[in-house]
Amino acid sequence: MNIPFKPGRRRFIQGAGLLGLNLAASGMPGALAKSAPQTVTVVTSYADEFVSRIEAAFEKAYPQYRLRVVWRMPNDAAPYLQQPDHGGADVYWSASPRTFARLARDNTWRKLPIDSGALPRQVGKTELGDAAGFYTASEIAGFGFAVSPPALTQRGLPLPADWTDLSDPRLAGLIALPVPARVGFAPPMVEIVLQAYGWQRGWALWSEIAANAKPIERGSTFVTDEIAAGRCAIGLSIDFFVNSAIANGAALSFIYPRHTGLNPAHIAVTRNSPNPEGAAAFVNFLLSLNGQKLLAHPDIRRLPIRPDAYAGLPTRQFNPFAAAAEGGLQFDSDAARPRLATSASLFQQMLIEPLAELTPLWRRLQAAEQAGKPLPEVRRLLGAPPIDEAAANDPALHRAIGLRLEGENPAIPTPQELAWGETAARNRHAARKLLDEAGA
Amino acid sequence: MKLKPTLSRLSRLAAFGALFAHFVHAPAGHAAETPAVIDREVLSRPLPGLSAEEEERFRRGRSLFRQSWVIAPANDVAVDGLGPLYNRLACISCHAKNGRGGAPDKPEERMQSMLVRLSLPGRNAQGGPLPHPAYGDQLNEEGIPGVPGEGRAHLHWHHKQARLADGTTVTLRWPSLSFSELAYGKLGKTLTSLRVSPHVAGLGLLDAVEEKTLLALAAEKKPDGVRGTVNLVYDKATGQPAVGRFGLKSNMPNLRQQIAGAFVGDMGITSPLFAQENCTAAQTACAAAPHGGQPELSATQLDEISFYLANLAPPPRRASDSPQVRQGEAHFAELGCATCHRPQLISGEVAGNPRLSRQSFAPYTDLLLHDMGPQLADGRPDHRANGRQWRTAPLWGLGVLTAINEQRGLLHDGRARTAEEAILWHGGEAETARRRYIKADRTQRAALLAFLQSL
Repeated sequence: MNIPFKPGRRRFIQGAGLLGLNLAASGMPGALAKSAPQTVTVVTSYADEFVSRIEAAFEKAYPQYRLRVVWRMPNDAAPYLQQPDHGGADVYWSASPRTFARLARDNTWRKLPIDSGALPRQVGKTELGDAAGFYTASEIAGFGFAVSPPALTQRGLPLPADWTDLSDPRLAGLIALPVPARVGFAPPMVEIVLQAYGWQRGWALWSEIAANAKPIERGSTFVTDEIAAGRCAIGLSIDFFVNSAIANGAALSFIYPRHTGLNPAHIAVTRNSPNPEGAAAFVNFLLSLNGQKLLAHPDIRRLPIRPDAYAGLPTRQFNPFAAAAEGGLQFDSDAARPRLATSASLFQQMLIEPLAELTPLWRRLQAAEQAGKPLPEVRRLLGAPPIDEAAANDPALHRAIGLRLEGENPAIPTPQELAWGETAARNRHAARKLLDEAGA
Repeated sequence: MKLKPTLSRLSRLAAFGALFAHFVHAPAGHAAETPAVIDREVLSRPLPGLSAEEEERFRRGRSLFRQSWVIAPANDVAVDGLGPLYNRLACISCHAKNGRGGAPDKPEERMQSMLVRLSLPGRNAQGGPLPHPAYGDQLNEEGIPGVPGEGRAHLHWHHKQARLADGTTVTLRWPSLSFSELAYGKLGKTLTSLRVSPHVAGLGLLDAVEEKTLLALAAEKKPDGVRGTVNLVYDKATGQPAVGRFGLKSNMPNLRQQIAGAFVGDMGITSPLFAQENCTAAQTACAAAPHGGQPELSATQLDEISFYLANLAPPPRRASDSPQVRQGEAHFAELGCATCHRPQLISGEVAGNPRLSRQSFAPYTDLLLHDMGPQLADGRPDHRANGRQWRTAPLWGLGVLTAINEQRGLLHDGRARTAEEAILWHGGEAETARRRYIKADRTQRAALLAFLQSL
């Protein structure tokens, strides 16, 4: 005989009583009578959808610890962590190699509590940790192109395979370009091209690409927004923004160009960590196979630093270890790091600030070239960097521009930087004159 | 160091990730075909027709909604002022992908997207709940370094079987609540109420329904003993009483106040509407902690985040032409569900926003308070809402939540893991509709659930 469900009165009294008036006065259930979890304080700049999932998984794996997250962008994290007690922080976990290196110099870290021999130290030319063993990568990300294949197909344009393809004048206005001096993830992209093609040719290529670009002043999803809205067909990006958008339903693809590089995101334990055992547990969790597999979540989509974490992922999943074994990923991020602020500033002065003036000059040159009138001097002038590579590598210059990328003194260019802008302006003026003389 | 396995968690995530089996990339020069099976941005899109300027404003609001807030003092002065006491760092902590939160499965797991309201018997000066003298009106589990969090709340699940007329059994669960690590003394005999965060799409349209429409809905004669009343709450901007419509007991009069209330209550961020930090007299470290400006969320920021949430498009219907879904829609009306979960509301005029003005839309709510019976009662009055009344939950978006949120729980405390469980918990004014569901045959129930899944 079936007895239809009727809420039991006794159960109601029990349930309502439990809910309406709390049990605090009468103490905790036996399951919770053990000691409270110890706090592990983690400073990070990761987005909450990443942090929350790691938090839940870590606390499940290590119920004796509870995560307290202190969210700070790298420019804010550095002074916070440099306090004598590190602001109570046990761990710094962030995608800012510059900050880890800087704080290592300031003796902020203790030796990492991990078996460093068990993890790879390098992918391609990217070092995954520092030589002294103070910090190591907990995930990596690659640079490349977000593309809308239909938008390119409609225009009869091929999919780009490398940076040189982005200079095609048919892409005019169709490339979303995150401004390196403004968007945190973008500076290494400048250096990837410079390392791949050399100083002169690299800047010339950037100039021609910039002439096709719509500058994007903010990062995150703004590049993919431009493509999703149909305003652009290609966006320069770091992979996880795009791959996460794809996993969430965006009709995009991500292409790793032939010349690309990786950005390692690190983790370190503070020298005076109040909970070094908890800090070690968190670091080891993140680096474990289970922790690394969480990186495949649709809202995270970072690349694991453990080769074994790629097992079981779809075969078309980009595997940087496999790419490196085939000779790819030759970008040396450590070598590029000291110059990132300088090259981002050069990019700003030479390409971004005068973009409205630069773009039509490239259009006129390209039109002349298509009409069979090559103007090599104009091409040279439009692509010439204001300084040579030796000058750009001057450590004094790096110190002067220094922390620009970390958000300090963002709006005050030095006289030197302003001079770069003037040099670029003279080059444009000369190029315009030559174009006028050629009737182009 | 040995690592404890997190296999169950990982397998859940893996299963979740399998919905989106497109973690693929193209080699150089080749595009992968990468459409996701389910669009997880479905609750994150703007209403159509935003101008370029409005789109930019929408994005600024979106950035704030996604922002993790920073402890003051900080260089990021625009986004500092977290806490000193708080629940989570960001709006999206509780509304991941703009979706719904859920309840923890085990007592020792933290509440990542739900909270506990607290009060003493009685009313405050505006007729709302009387805050606890030491803990305020909400348990803030977290504190910035140097400020102890208020304590920890733990959910304990109890289970029972419900049997439907055809013999089908459904396992129901309900929570009891306990606290630990209380940092500011005993709670004593405190009224408590659990809240799982709802999804946030379509809120602008709900905000645009005129008060007179809600009053008219409340005055309508309804079948099956259904009544429905408005809550009368306090509008902080005007200083006047107003009809409530947001919050699970309709205790907020409009979207702007709802947002500002969540900022101060959940993240400890003051705003022009809530200028005081959420520190009680007993919380001296809280009161002494640095703040992030006065207010911490500027009027402009509040405007931008309000614009963002007001202009989020409602969840689109799916499979509405399916015969089963159409049949389920008919059953939804026949069973009496649509009496409260109204399929149509009409918005009033919203100055400067034709997208929200005079729109007919289908939220499947009447925004009214209804007695939901003793099983769902929290025993905690809130303005005119008594301890058995809840606002009719909007059902739009119900069918997309599974794809968006791993941790999902329906009803105010997340007890219902499925729509069917939620139906079976209905009582009070919804008792007749629940009984009809129990008596419905398997085909009818499947059709009804398919309809709900299409919303």
